[in-house]
Amino acid sequence: MSAPSEVRRTEQTGPAGAAEPASRRRRVPPGVWFVLPFMLSYVAFVIWPLTRGLWMSFHDTSLVRSGSEFVGLDNYTRLFADPLVWSSLWTTLVFTIGSTIPLVLIALVMALLVHAGGRGQWFWRLAFFAPYLMPVATVALIWNWLFQNDVGLLNGLLGVLGMQPVGWTSDPSVALWSVVLLTVWWTVGFNFLLYLAALQAIPPDVLEAAATDGAGRWRTTRSIVLPLIAPTTGLVLVLQLLASLKLFDQAYILFSGDGGPEGSVTPVLQYVYDTGFVGYRLGYASAISYVFFLLILVIALAHAWLAGRRRSA
Amino acid sequence: MSGPALSRRGFLGAAGFTAGVLLTGCATAPSPDVTVAYWNFFGGGDGERMVGLVDRFRADNPRIGVSATTLEWGSPYYTKLAMACAGGRAPDLATLHTSRLVTFGRDLLEPWDLAELEARGVRLDDFPPAVTERLAVDGELVGLPLDTHPMVLYYNTDVCDRAGLLDASGELRPLHGPDTLLDAGRRAAEVTGATGIAFAATGTNEPWMLFWSLYNQAGGRMDLPDGGPARVDRDAMVTAMGYLQAFCDGTIASPTLDSDAAVATFASAQSGFLVTGPWEYTSAETAGIPFSMTRFPAVFGDRAIVRADSHCFVVPRQDSVDPTVRAAAYDLAVSMLDDSVSWAEGGHVPALAAVAESPEYLAMQPQSRYRDVVDDVEFDPVAYYSGSGSTMMNRAAQTLQAVAGGGLTPERGADDLTAWLDTQLRLESPL
Repeated sequence: MSAPSEVRRTEQTGPAGAAEPASRRRRVPPGVWFVLPFMLSYVAFVIWPLTRGLWMSFHDTSLVRSGSEFVGLDNYTRLFADPLVWSSLWTTLVFTIGSTIPLVLIALVMALLVHAGGRGQWFWRLAFFAPYLMPVATVALIWNWLFQNDVGLLNGLLGVLGMQPVGWTSDPSVALWSVVLLTVWWTVGFNFLLYLAALQAIPPDVLEAAATDGAGRWRTTRSIVLPLIAPTTGLVLVLQLLASLKLFDQAYILFSGDGGPEGSVTPVLQYVYDTGFVGYRLGYASAISYVFFLLILVIALAHAWLAGRRRSA
Repeated sequence: MSGPALSRRGFLGAAGFTAGVLLTGCATAPSPDVTVAYWNFFGGGDGERMVGLVDRFRADNPRIGVSATTLEWGSPYYTKLAMACAGGRAPDLATLHTSRLVTFGRDLLEPWDLAELEARGVRLDDFPPAVTERLAVDGELVGLPLDTHPMVLYYNTDVCDRAGLLDASGELRPLHGPDTLLDAGRRAAEVTGATGIAFAATGTNEPWMLFWSLYNQAGGRMDLPDGGPARVDRDAMVTAMGYLQAFCDGTIASPTLDSDAAVATFASAQSGFLVTGPWEYTSAETAGIPFSMTRFPAVFGDRAIVRADSHCFVVPRQDSVDPTVRAAAYDLAVSMLDDSVSWAEGGHVPALAAVAESPEYLAMQPQSRYRDVVDDVEFDPVAYYSGSGSTMMNRAAQTLQAVAGGGLTPERGADDLTAWLDTQLRLESPL
């Protein structure tokens, strides 16, 4: 029964018997229909806002007024003279560096410990990963109370130890590091999980061979394990850099959007938000976000170049 | 295998029957002819009272549906409302802070139709003139005032009694002059063993409320003309900021409390006073501490001028207006105004004269004790970036936090704030 239909199909697709409508249909590759739904949303929510934002950055677009005028590079020239742009960019950079280092190192140490440990691995896996599942608002609220200067748990513990209270959220020189602390507690579990998966993927025979050669635990970790999970380190590092650069929500909620003590925890994304949506200057906000976008692009290209060099070396 | 207890056909039949019953249930309820979309930003005790106001309107007007949306107070609310208005699909009725009217008034709001209001029994002179003055844009009323909420002084009657601050009738002795308030704070601190006055020095609202009150008491005026420079009274600024610094010395008031912690401190009787808006009445009431409320005293000068704002109802501009919905929105607003004695339970001074003079309100203690403050209120300076939850309040709070914490001298604080105002004024207005 199937043989005749197969024959017919061969006839249809064969070059000799190609019918006119079938060949026209073949010009659209079948993959397009699978990609199209995604492409449509990608164009609507990424490509179009990107172009629209670029257009706005050359106009004095306002949120509350219709119509806008072309202002050329005005927004960009103003931006270079705006101290708040640079201070908020600096805040974002300090946070990125200050949070990426512990978020990678602590995750690695936690993964090594859990991987080495014998019983109860599931408990540590759960305990380290659980905070990551919490919504940002909950995390910020919990830590807001822990950080309280006069009634908070952290200062209460310091007081028991006979130490001076720390202005976790009120001292401008400390507040950003409080956000780092909160972020590490909250998100380190994700990096931990990536590292743990990488550790579990190391072939046991390599480790056995090392043990046979008389390598101790430290030697094995340094010469076998760390090099073998290096690709994961690269991945964790890039993901973490990008996540940290996007600092906004936890800082915004922790300080109820006021930028922290004396504005010391105003990341550049919050300045963009404040400028565009609170101050109604969409054009100027777009210009700032494009400068930030360029910065991220430079970091991403630098990483790609470094990774490419490493691979070819 | 025997047949399942519930066959697929049986299950579908039962599901269809249930759905039918549910649909019939919906149909028997009176379906509203029109639905008014109403946005507000009230949480906590105010939120509950607002739900009460809306529910009473629903009960009285079964033919009008209300879809009430509560959003987070501050810039999230104002951003969403401005965007909804700019997009032409705004709600039919919304709540606004009077101090934020300038941004919205010109392009995003419809003026109230006074004849329509009068037909519903509300006239302009039913409201305090100091408030309606602020509600007019280009000579037209764009906001219908619900209340006035000044900065007030809460006091723990037990702590103040032990500190010897009460008179024979159990009321707080007048705290006139700069030293009296500081001294009262010190004496309350001795009783509590912690601080005397709970004050959110690291908050946003509170430092601004205190500064703006003191600045005006010290005779300061502020004028913010487009293009700048800001016309400010530097001496009054330094005086007010100097007082803020003396106030937040760690004994009288802590320089490191935020809003929630300040309320918690007062609610747990760890301070004798609380300086904030009247909206924390419910928190203090729920805590079950013995307390009362009074006007914030005249620290400088003779008039106890305090910073205040007011909640008002506005009709956002829409691309297409349905007259029946618009009429229903008027009904809802007027109903909430008429009903505002229950709103006043939350500590706000009602705006409608009939309510403010009603025996129910006057009997409300301590909420009606500071009602005469409406003659001495000072609203925020008029600018598109000023008002409750605004950029100016945020930015000023940063300076004031630094002054309160001792990081800036009052002189440098005054210059810092003035410099920011000048920068802001040089920017082209987005309106």
